[in-house]
Amino acid sequence: MAESQPYSDPEAQGDTALALEGMWRVVVLNDPVNLMSYVVMVFKKVLGFDEATARKHMMEVHERGRSVVWAGLREKAEAYMFTLQQWHLTTVLEPDETR
Amino acid sequence: MKRVEVKLSLAIVAPLLDVIKGLADDLGSDLATTVAPVDHDQDFQQAWRDELIGAQNADVKVLLALFNDEFFAEGVIAFDEANAEPIVRACAALRLRLRSHPLAQLGDEPLESGSVDLAGLEEPVRKAFLCYLFLATIQELIIQHLESNIIGS
Repeated sequence: MAESQPYSDPEAQGDTALALEGMWRVVVLNDPVNLMSYVVMVFKKVLGFDEATARKHMMEVHERGRSVVWAGLREKAEAYMFTLQQWHLTTVLEPDETR
Repeated sequence: MKRVEVKLSLAIVAPLLDVIKGLADDLGSDLATTVAPVDHDQDFQQAWRDELIGAQNADVKVLLALFNDEFFAEGVIAFDEANAEPIVRACAALRLRLRSHPLAQLGDEPLESGSVDLAGLEEPVRKAFLCYLFLATIQELIIQHLESNIIGS
């Protein structure tokens, strides 16, 4: 006897798969607590930025409230997001619709 | 192994440890930062959150271990490559918790600029703010003196 499966719309499944396979952005949001030097250090350590790139993104977060720090496949984007959250930076994922 | 020892004033820092320990207890089952949902699957989301909480608790434990017998005997705490990263992360977690709880009434601007009239604060808030500054000082010390040596980029 086959186990009953919940109904799922194949089209919706396709959309989900496409979304998961598409390109995603890792976005760091501003917070009033973390020190600038701390954010620069985290960007260097987690994302492998050099000092100038890390400072540029930190200033973007500080002045504009957000910075896209990485874009690419979902799985790796999630890994970056998780690590940045471990360092207590407020981080979100967004679909990258520019690609 | 590079190691940095810092001598602190017991009279100033010891009273702040109660605040730090209270925050650590508060954070036992909660995250310092808001975590946006990463997936619609509730189990996945919960597992994600649990792992972050576990990592946060482990970091805070390393920070608390700084204040050991040596600290209470001589006022000395030491940073090295084994504890530097967990400690800077734990300081971030506790500072975020201070902002969202005991210091919430101050608002974000004074916290960001540091322009707070200490004398005008009630004792628990004053103590929490001093703790906020103390944790930032620890972070700065580690970042300035040890980053290139023990926190690999």
